[in-house]
Amino acid sequence: MPSLAYPVPTDLSPTTVKNATSFLKIVALALISGAAIASRLFAVINFESIIHEFDPWFNYRATKVLAAKGFYEFWNWFDPTAWYPLGRVVGGTVYPGLMATSGVIYNVLRALNLPVDIRNICVLLAPGFSALTAWATYLFTTEMKNESAGLLAAAFIGIVPGYISRSVAGSYDNEAIAIFLLMFTFYCWIKALKTGSALYGTVAAVFYFYMVAAWGGYVFITNMIPLHALVLMLMGRFSHRLYVAYCSWYVVGTLSSMQVPFVGFQPVSTSEHMGALGVFGLLQIVAFTDLVKSHVSSQNFQKLLRVSLVAAGILGASAFAFLTYAGKIAPWTGRFYSLWDTGYAKKYIPIIASVSEHQPTAWPSFFMDLQMLIFIFPAGVILCFKELRDEHLFVIIYAVMASYFAGVMVRLMLTLTPVVCVASAIAFSSLLDVYVNPIEPDVPAEEAPAVEAVPANGVTETTTTTGGKKSKKADKPAAVQASGSALSSLFAAKSPGKGSKRTTGIFGLDSRGVVLLNAIWMLAYFVFHCTWVTSVAYSSPSVVLASQNQDGSQHIIDDFREAYYWLRQNTAEDAVVMSWWDYGYQIAGMADRPTLVDNNTWNNTHIATVGKAMSSSEEKAYPILRKHDVEYVLVIFGGLIGYSGDDINKFLWMVRIAQGVWPDEIQESNYFTPRGEYKIDENASKTMKESLMYKMSYYRFAEVFGPQQAVDRVRQQPVPKTPITLDYLDEAYTTENWIVRIYQVKKEDSLGRDLKNANAFATGKKGKKSKPQPRRRALVA
Amino acid sequence: MFSIRRFCLLALSLAHVWSVTAKSSTGDSVLVVVDPKRQAQYSQFLDGLKDRGYDITFRSSKAEKPLLIEDDVPNYAHVILLAPESKNLGGKDITPQNIVELLNLKTNVIVTLSPAQTSLSSLASEFSLILPPPASPLISYFPKRDESPTLIPISVPDKSSPVLTKHIAPVWFSGIPQALGNSPLIVPILKAPAESFAGELLTQGGSAESLVDAADKGGEGLWAGSSLGVVTGFQTASGGRITWLGGADMLTDELFQKSLPDGSKPGNADLARDITAWTFQEELVLRIDQVNHHIVNTTISKELYTINDNIVFSADISKWNPSENKWEACSGLKDLQLEFTMLDPFIRTALPPVPGSPGKYSVSFRAPDRHGVFKFVIDYKRRGWSFLHSSTTVAVVPPRHDGYPRFLSAAWPYYAGAISTSIAFFLFSALWLAGDARDSRKGQKGAKAQ
Repeated sequence: MPSLAYPVPTDLSPTTVKNATSFLKIVALALISGAAIASRLFAVINFESIIHEFDPWFNYRATKVLAAKGFYEFWNWFDPTAWYPLGRVVGGTVYPGLMATSGVIYNVLRALNLPVDIRNICVLLAPGFSALTAWATYLFTTEMKNESAGLLAAAFIGIVPGYISRSVAGSYDNEAIAIFLLMFTFYCWIKALKTGSALYGTVAAVFYFYMVAAWGGYVFITNMIPLHALVLMLMGRFSHRLYVAYCSWYVVGTLSSMQVPFVGFQPVSTSEHMGALGVFGLLQIVAFTDLVKSHVSSQNFQKLLRVSLVAAGILGASAFAFLTYAGKIAPWTGRFYSLWDTGYAKKYIPIIASVSEHQPTAWPSFFMDLQMLIFIFPAGVILCFKELRDEHLFVIIYAVMASYFAGVMVRLMLTLTPVVCVASAIAFSSLLDVYVNPIEPDVPAEEAPAVEAVPANGVTETTTTTGGKKSKKADKPAAVQASGSALSSLFAAKSPGKGSKRTTGIFGLDSRGVVLLNAIWMLAYFVFHCTWVTSVAYSSPSVVLASQNQDGSQHIIDDFREAYYWLRQNTAEDAVVMSWWDYGYQIAGMADRPTLVDNNTWNNTHIATVGKAMSSSEEKAYPILRKHDVEYVLVIFGGLIGYSGDDINKFLWMVRIAQGVWPDEIQESNYFTPRGEYKIDENASKTMKESLMYKMSYYRFAEVFGPQQAVDRVRQQPVPKTPITLDYLDEAYTTENWIVRIYQVKKEDSLGRDLKNANAFATGKKGKKSKPQPRRRALVA
Repeated sequence: MFSIRRFCLLALSLAHVWSVTAKSSTGDSVLVVVDPKRQAQYSQFLDGLKDRGYDITFRSSKAEKPLLIEDDVPNYAHVILLAPESKNLGGKDITPQNIVELLNLKTNVIVTLSPAQTSLSSLASEFSLILPPPASPLISYFPKRDESPTLIPISVPDKSSPVLTKHIAPVWFSGIPQALGNSPLIVPILKAPAESFAGELLTQGGSAESLVDAADKGGEGLWAGSSLGVVTGFQTASGGRITWLGGADMLTDELFQKSLPDGSKPGNADLARDITAWTFQEELVLRIDQVNHHIVNTTISKELYTINDNIVFSADISKWNPSENKWEACSGLKDLQLEFTMLDPFIRTALPPVPGSPGKYSVSFRAPDRHGVFKFVIDYKRRGWSFLHSSTTVAVVPPRHDGYPRFLSAAWPYYAGAISTSIAFFLFSALWLAGDARDSRKGQKGAKAQ
């Protein structure tokens, strides 16, 4: 027996220990799932069971169609109310995985005679899947290290804010199920790679297909797995296991992914998917050379290899170039370029840059979303380097890629989060392994029985190499046999190679205690941080806003729903509503009215048309409005209450997007003061003051303040007192806090005058006296 | 039972009375605003209206009641303003704004002008009509006659305006002309004679110089010639009709009877009849009863069409027949068009009448190869006729998932490839398995599989 730092019961049989650990594991996983679900319910408790934000409203609406009419009708659904009058072929332009999942759950519950409102399924889908994500992460990390690391990783991913931000109750978006699918696909891939099993490869492909059906981010998997395979091949780690795993994943996965209507032939025609195809081809070549190698003498083989490699390289590259040039392979998309050059989107595709979640990530948000994990994460990656089995390479590649992308775009923080949890869990559990292990390092003179047994089984290796894997597998049962105590053998097995022969180590309880207490404190603080961030920052539905009263109680600002319900109750069913695209899905979902543009930003010109209407003067905007049959215009205005996400703050993006299409008519510089400032007070430029957006936002605003100076609370600028006149629009509705303002577009004048003159006449202003048109020239005497 | 029968009888008799009397398609109540002292002067004109079945209410030009519009609802179907001299048009609620409001509420209006400056001159400019300066009536010294130069016999060319139905003898006119602007909604009814002009009357102290002065003041604006109108109609986009008469005198009994310089009877009464018939929506009134659209060879109307569907669109149009007092199917429109538009017209085609079914116009066309929200648009605007506008929204969608052709002859290479690969794989497996039974070297294969 080695000397122990603290007493460990010795009279437990291995089966008892095994049963107890697996029971504890199940309990721990259940608790983690519970915590993951519970922490996502802040949104429901603080507000109500409501669909959040923007995109979820479309998903919710689509799910309702799916639940009501069945899958085929959903597949063939043409939505004439979106992108009026272009319409949207929803079935072919949507990732149906999310809706299909909810639809299946809905129908299963109904079949079980549990009639649940489809809204509640939608609201609670994301928390439910977060529990599954925790489980998938547990499986994945178990493959990387061991089960205790897996449990830690599951706990981390369960409550880490970086993932909660996209999966609180009500955040019914594709990401809600996509992260689970991502982690499970990766797990199956690792499993397939480790065992060389075509079954696991196919399971990975099936989940890959589910992922493709669920989220556009599937491209991440499409490139991660080939990259991993490529790196393995470059490191000379080609094996038949890799061949079987990759080929079964790629062939089944690609064929099935092409069944998703929205994806179609993209896997064989766009650049983003070419990497996977290339690696597939390369694998065949490598496998073939392997075969040739085993039949041909090595000298000939070297020659053959050199020639064929060069030939294959030249052929492949020229084929790719030719196909790209010929247009068979679509060139890289703008979103892809913006991943490498963060300034690209702002210059060339303002519509992508205008989305806040496409902005580069600010440093504090890394800490906000990941807290201590961001510090431990590199340690985990380094530990992976130390062992460097095939699957560890995967984590390393994943960590490098995801870190880069998370730095480029805020929304990609989501893909970084799982690997951070995995790597941190590896690091953290290694730390715990070392410090919880009761076995005291040996004083050189002493020779404990266990030490005799262990070296015999090859645990003497202290540095892990590629060969270390087999020895580790081998030593596990050996250690169990060798040690008298079942528990201490558990520890020994958990820290193979760090074991007993070394004389360096942790002595005594105090040193262990200090580190462990510190670790526990960090973990506890992590939980507090996560809970706080979740409750404060990530649980706002953004449809309903909350503010604090002076006595600290919560005050709900419900202007959005007020306005949307007004539209629903008071306008014709086919009345077209124009707004900036951010609100398209909400109008369609809550007001049930046709919209010109929405969050599915597929038609830049149509969006630019709306941008042009908003940034032009009334006379110029009116023909655009009439041509598109617009009856109501909706603007978001935060100046009264201080809501900063309003349309005036987004206005420059409208101008920029419109300028991209009509550079002669709209120029961004015209909207700034001569000194280059973006102002809304007296100094605002004439174009700015005449723009439809400015007029609609500040129409009658000064009247609220009476004799006092009107102040815009968002921009902290005084608003001019001169009343704004609207000739082509009528104010139809303004909500309680003025956040949403709705204007009705007037019909053409029945006397054929322009509405400005008609308005002047109706208000009793004298028109200028006109004269008959001269038909001849006057004679000059 | 009894009461129902009585009610039916009553309704029948009412309908009968109504059908005999009323002629207008929009109602028979008329409000005439007139100076009571001058009311008798218009007796023939007003009796003519009464004989045609109109129910006339008089309102003194000094009275405030009855109101034109109450609670945003017009009280009368038609209004005649016969008190042009009074400064405020004859009542507090008769403002230029209210007259426009009346037209928007589909009330028809006849306005008579006078050389005096009234608020009507500012109203006229809203209708794209330009009135001459105050106190400059239309003057013509031709043909030579005993009457004042401001009382002019104007000959009415046949068919010079869609409003005029038959030959009308020359009419006596006294009043001011209107220069016509370029609004397409104007319906000129009677033009001034070529040799007439507007100006101060020379015999009343004016001089040739004043005429030249006036011409200078108005720029080129010498108010002269046949481009000026004396009776001008205007049909608003919403369907209301208004007619501007240069002077109320042409409706008086005196001018109804005064013989022309050649001794014949004037056409004033006939012209007044035609003007009121048009203005009060008796003549040139069309409507679209219904529109219908369906796929060729079916009858069910659909909300959704698939691209490249063959669609039949038909419209039933009827015309108001004032003598029969009912809507009659009208197949007479030769230039009706149908547009199938999404932002721009994708298809613009003639919509011809269907021979054999009166009032029905139909066309069949192939839907464009473009999905979206389309509108069937009929937009028929002809001068004088009431405007026909109809817009029906339908969606044109791509084929359903099972709506595409199942087997393509062009795809035979792919079918052949798939079939041959399947067969080859089957054969290969069969041979492999068969060979396996005979082959004893299983160890090698096992190693390979590893």
